[in-house]
This record gives sequence, structure tokens and C-alpha cells, in this order.
Amino acid sequence: MTILMITPYAPYRDGIAVYAVQEVRAMRQAGLDVEVLSPLPSAAHRHLVIGSATGMSRLLRLAGSYDKIIMQFYPELLFGGCRGRIERLAVWRLLKQLALKVPLELRIHEIDYGAITIDPLTLSTARSALQAAAKLQVHTAAEATTLADSLDLDLSTIELVEHGGNFEPRTAVDKETARAEFGLEFDEHVFVSIGFIQSHKGCDRGVRAFGRAGLGKASARYIVVGSTRVDHPDLVSYAEELQALCDATPGAEFRHEFVGDEEFDAWLVAADTLVLPYRDIWSSGVLERAALFSIPVITTAVGGLADQAPEGALVVENDSGLTKAMAEAAGQTIDLRETHLLSRAELTELIHTRSGRTNDIDQRSPVEQVGQVTMPKPHSARPGVGELKQFVQRATAWQLQPIIDQLNQLQASTAASIAELKENQRE
Amino acid sequence: MTEPRGRIGFVPPRYGAEVVGGAEAVLTEMAHGFAARGWDVDVLTTCAKDHVTWANHYPEGESTDGQITVRRFATQTDTPGKARERIGQQMLAGHGANISEQQLWVNDSLRVSGLWHYVLDNADQYRALVLGPYMFWTTFAVSQIMPERTILMPCLHDEPTAYLDLFAPCFSGSRGLWFLSDPEAELAASIHRLTPRHEVIGAGIEQPQSYDPDGFREKFAIRSPFLYYAGRREWGKGWTELLAAFAALIEETNADLKLVTSGVGAIDAPASIADRVVDVGFLSTQDRNNAMAAADAYVQPSALESFSRTVLEAWLAGTPVIANAGSEVVSWHIERSSAGLTYETERELIEALRLVVERPQSLAELATPGRQYVIDHYTPTDVMDRAEQTIIDWTGAPAS
Repeated sequence: MTILMITPYAPYRDGIAVYAVQEVRAMRQAGLDVEVLSPLPSAAHRHLVIGSATGMSRLLRLAGSYDKIIMQFYPELLFGGCRGRIERLAVWRLLKQLALKVPLELRIHEIDYGAITIDPLTLSTARSALQAAAKLQVHTAAEATTLADSLDLDLSTIELVEHGGNFEPRTAVDKETARAEFGLEFDEHVFVSIGFIQSHKGCDRGVRAFGRAGLGKASARYIVVGSTRVDHPDLVSYAEELQALCDATPGAEFRHEFVGDEEFDAWLVAADTLVLPYRDIWSSGVLERAALFSIPVITTAVGGLADQAPEGALVVENDSGLTKAMAEAAGQTIDLRETHLLSRAELTELIHTRSGRTNDIDQRSPVEQVGQVTMPKPHSARPGVGELKQFVQRATAWQLQPIIDQLNQLQASTAASIAELKENQRE
Repeated sequence: MTEPRGRIGFVPPRYGAEVVGGAEAVLTEMAHGFAARGWDVDVLTTCAKDHVTWANHYPEGESTDGQITVRRFATQTDTPGKARERIGQQMLAGHGANISEQQLWVNDSLRVSGLWHYVLDNADQYRALVLGPYMFWTTFAVSQIMPERTILMPCLHDEPTAYLDLFAPCFSGSRGLWFLSDPEAELAASIHRLTPRHEVIGAGIEQPQSYDPDGFREKFAIRSPFLYYAGRREWGKGWTELLAAFAALIEETNADLKLVTSGVGAIDAPASIADRVVDVGFLSTQDRNNAMAAADAYVQPSALESFSRTVLEAWLAGTPVIANAGSEVVSWHIERSSAGLTYETERELIEALRLVVERPQSLAELATPGRQYVIDHYTPTDVMDRAEQTIIDWTGAPAS
């Protein structure tokens, strides 16, 4: 029996890829014949971009060679290349055909309910495709209920699978060694948040809660470890804000780097408390990894986390709950009631501190922050190409340089006008 | 009762007697060295011989090489390589690449799904997996499977790819790092955060039992004095620069001098020196040693070296070295040994080559301390002792 798993795959920085690798490993160790198909070239046996009607049609053609298909389902995989509602409908229909051709198991990591419930036809087509699947699997009861309710599916047809069922510890270090390697003191209470840095993971909430509780003064530290998954401007901007916030919060630190699997687990071992201050999530792989080492957890009650959290975890509903839980974990008791009133200046200072504002923020207007336009350097690794580029640049410079000069002049004039306008407004 | 040692997997991108590559040679010697010391050793590698096309040359499957089990897996080269080329150019031009581009770059070359899944299925059987050089897909992808058992031998040199964020976890998160020289370790530490378990291991240079320089000259009918270059004849290795300088020297001196080369890659010599450039093809180890001994000088024109074993082989054979100062490692070897000359510009290279014609005895004398330098620092036994100790210290012994 040959099984095809469709999934993002190693060696990419991708949570679903990491999850899939562990499932593939477990299945192969159980003696199953598993091949992998990924949307991008990877360690998978095949690659095929399936996020469109064309891609799904190609998948349908090769599906006949397999006895079963497992798909790590998330919206981008199926619809990433779709050009509109009509094509998305076609993809849902093709997914149903796929399910009718070969037994199809959908491991649902994420669904865009907004895009499905947008109109009755999309809803019924999607429902029909999901009903045709041999298995629908999610990680938590909350996810199952939401899925059943949103698509009017029979709840009993949705299976729960343990998110960390195939996870194995990747480090053997003890807490003392891990802390020494990361430059942490053994006697301080260390909070850790780790993973990809993105707004919905809410690390800023965690840092603010840590700051509100004043834990930096109480021999506690909060370390956020991770990197942005891709260099999307929104993610980069969020990472910069988080950095500024950590810089302005005593005891908080942002280690902005991607870490490998062993280091990831070593960070969990080094932690006294893992903090998951998420704003939005379906279920968490980090929570499962923390469970491998019995690390105490504080998590917000979003998505399926309340269901998924291990016994003894502190599940909080809001920011003040998070603050209290962190203080409690560090052995502090705090009273969040106002004991004295703050002046306007103090309130303003508080806003600045909590938003990570620093005095060295770039005060220039956006147009001033844009760099000067220049010609690209005529470099090349290939013999002769650099010379060719130099020649082309020299030959076309008489046309391009005036445009570049004019663009730079335009930028300078705009910046000067804005400055003048500001000055006039002040006067 | 001896302590159980366990199995080590070496994962070079290519393996075989016909493979030309310094890093591959070092990994091959390490593998044989560990096997000779009683370790179970597997080499997990591709079927490729050529690092440009990555075409499958050797048959897939299992074979033995002495005490080593070799498992070969077919390469997949089914992507057009356009993204890799575009992003590579962009990086070389100093424009950098974001993490998505870096991931595209590394995956738009050879991939070896069979090798990757073999390690995924069997990593538990290995006490350590030794991977290198850092920039190849095999190293990058396999290093993520079991970082807690991975020893990375990066063979790093100062080039744009060394600075990619993509590789940072390989340096910080592998179980250990083996460096070939102090400058390589310093360069790595200046770019990436390093795991605390890292060591300069070096590479062992085996002393040949004898040299036969006259035999080499006779075999290849070379009667003139000659410069020797062994390795990959590529632009990135400084081959075109060497040809240009040699042509200029000949034009200026019309000296009775040849440039002998062995290894792989097109010769592409200018017409003016075509009859003076002698390609002796791919040489056996013995023939290469004899060529080293017969040469009047060995030239290392590459700035991208992480160890440069040919320079050390030349010294062992008593031959002076003329090398590109752009390579920190080679300059470091030469500073420590005083057994060679470095150049920074093409003019300096021409003048250095001129000394082979004008000052051959002084140059020959220069080589004298080189042999002792190699013996003092790069005896295979010492290198293997260092490597073996790190494996014992950094990785857990298998259950007896």
C-alpha cells in the first residue's frame, strides 16, 4: 500500500512542514510505504504547485498511483494561486473528485471560514468536498466543534488526533546546562516564548504582561526566541516593534533568530515557564513539545488551546489574567487595582514604555526615510557578464541617469516641502 | 572490555576516487580513519561525480570501500535552476536575499530525497552524522533531521553564501563543529553564533613513502621547469587569473616554463600559451605526489579555500608555494610556515611567477620549512585523535 502525503516539507522554515516530517517518520517506521509531494521543491519525492484548478487537476491525474492520500490541509496549499471565487469553487470540486478517486484523509490545520461561508454555493461545495473525504482530522475538540458548526458537518465524522502524537524529544541537556549555554542564571525565573514571530502569536502581550507585573525587578526574565517565517513587511515591522518593546521592558529580551530542533527543545528545558500569549491559533505544536519535558505552561484560551493545554497549565482569558499568572509563576503576588493615580506625564510615559517607543526613533517623515535611487552595481559571478553589464550601463546611462537624478530631486523637494509645511504649522 | 563506539555516518555530497574536491577528500580520509580505529562507518552520499551537473554517475545502492559501507542515492535535478541563478547573482552583487529567497536558492539545485529519507528512517542508528561542506543541499537538509547528532564540518570561506541567515541554525544548533583551521573558525564566529562545542580539527596529510619526480617528468614528457596547479579549473578557483598572469609572464620573458595542471574543468588557455599549458588529466594519488615533487612551484590562485590541502602536499614534497593572499587560510599557513609567497594583485602574481625563472634556488630554499610545518601540525594520527575525542565528548555512547 503506497500512501502519498501532500504537505509543505523540509528543509523549509514552516510549522506544518515540521509536523509532517514527524508524521512521515512515524509512518515509515511503522513499515508503511509513504511518499511525499510538496508544493515547492524540497526533500519530498515529488513537487507540484497545487494551489489552483490547474494544479489540482494535475494532482488528480497522478493520484491514481496511490492507495491513500493524506493532505496537511491549510488554505494556502489549495487556494494560494486561485484568481477568484470561480476558481476556488473549481478547486473544491476537484478536491471532491480526488476524494472519490482515492481515500483522502484531511489533517486540517487551518480553515478560512470567511472564504467558505461567503455565499451558499461555496459553502455547499466545500461541505460536499469535506464530506467526501475518508477522514477529517483536527487536534482539539474546540476545533472540531467550530468546523462542524461552521460547515454544518456531523461532529461525529470529525476525528481528534493528538497534535504531539509523533513528537519526540530532541535534546538530552539538563536545565543547568541549557541555561549555561544560553547565558541564563540558574536562580532566576525564566519565562520563554518561542516560535515564529507574528502578531497572532502575541509575544508583545506577554512582554507587556511581564512589564506590568514588574517581574524584571524580581529576578525574573522573559526571553522571546524566534524569527519571522518569511520577510513579509508586516512581519518584519512586528518584529521591530517587539524588539523595541523588549528593549524598553526591564528583564525582557528578544533573541531574534531561527533555532534548530535541538536548540528549540533546549530552550524549553531552560524555561521555568513557557508562555503562549496567542491572540489566534488553532492548536500549538510548541505546547506539545513543552509537554515532552513537563514544562509548566501559561496559555491564553484561544482556538483549541484550552482543550490542548496539559493538566496544571494556567489558561488565561485576557491580559490581566496573563499578568497575574506570570506573577504567580514567578512567586510574586500583584494587585492590579489602582493604588495611586498617575499624572498625565506618567500615563504618557507608560504608553511610550509599553509600546516600545524609544527616544532614538527615526523622526524623519516617510519620504525622507526612502534611500536615494542609484544604478544597480554591474557585478556578476559569471565571467564576462560583469563587463557586459558595465558596457550596457555606460551605453544607457545618458538615458537613465537624468531620470534617476530627477527622482532624487523630486524626493528631496518633497521632503523639503513637508518640512516647510511642518514649520509653518508650528508657527 | 572496550567501550562501545557506535556507528558514524559521513555525508559528503560526492564520494569516490574520481571526485575532485578538497572537502570531499578530507571527509573521505576521516571516514577511513575512523573505520581503521574500529568504528562502524557508513558513507551516505549521492550518485554524482560532477558538482556542476550533479548527474547520476555511480550506481545507486550499497557497496563497500575497504571497511566502509557506501550507500548511494540518486540526485533529483528537476528544477530549472533559474531562481538559484537569479538569487545567486543578486547575492554576489551585494543585494542580499530574504529568507524566502534563500530557501528557494538552496532547494533549486540538486536534491536527494532518497538520502534524506534514509537518514530520517535510520538516524537513530548513528552515534554521529558528519556533514559538510555547509553550502550543499545534502548538508543543509540532512542537518535538520537530527541536529543533536550532527557534526558539521563547514569548510567555510569568506563568500556571500557564508553570510546567509539560512545557515545560521547549522552553526548554532548542530551538536558540534569541526573546523579545518583557526582562520576558518574565526570567520565562522564572526558571522554566526556557534554552538559551544566546536574544535579546530585540521585535516591529516599522509606522508607518501617516496616521490618519483623524474618518473613524472618522463611519464608526461615534461622537460622544462614547470608551475603546477591541481584541482578544479574554475573561475571561482582563480584558474582564469592564473592563466592571464602566466600568459603575461611568457609574453614578457619568453621563459622556458610550463604550467602543468591536473584535475577537472576546461583549460581555455589563450592561444599565445596554449602549447605551454599541459593538462595531465585526473591523476592518481601517487602521480599527484610525484607532480608536486617535480614542480618548481605550486600555485594556489584560489581565494576561496577553507584548508587547501594541495598547498600542504606541495610542502610535504619540498616544493615552494605561490598563493593568493585573498585566502585567509592559505596566508595563515604561509605566515606560520614561512614556506611560500603570497600575492594580492595580478601584477604581484606575475612577479612571483617570474621568480621561478629568475630565482629558482632561492624559491626552492623557501620550501624547506614547509615540510616540517606539515609534519608538526597535520599528521593524520593527531588529526584523528582530535576528531575522535570530540565524538566521544560530544555524543553519547551507544548502549553496550
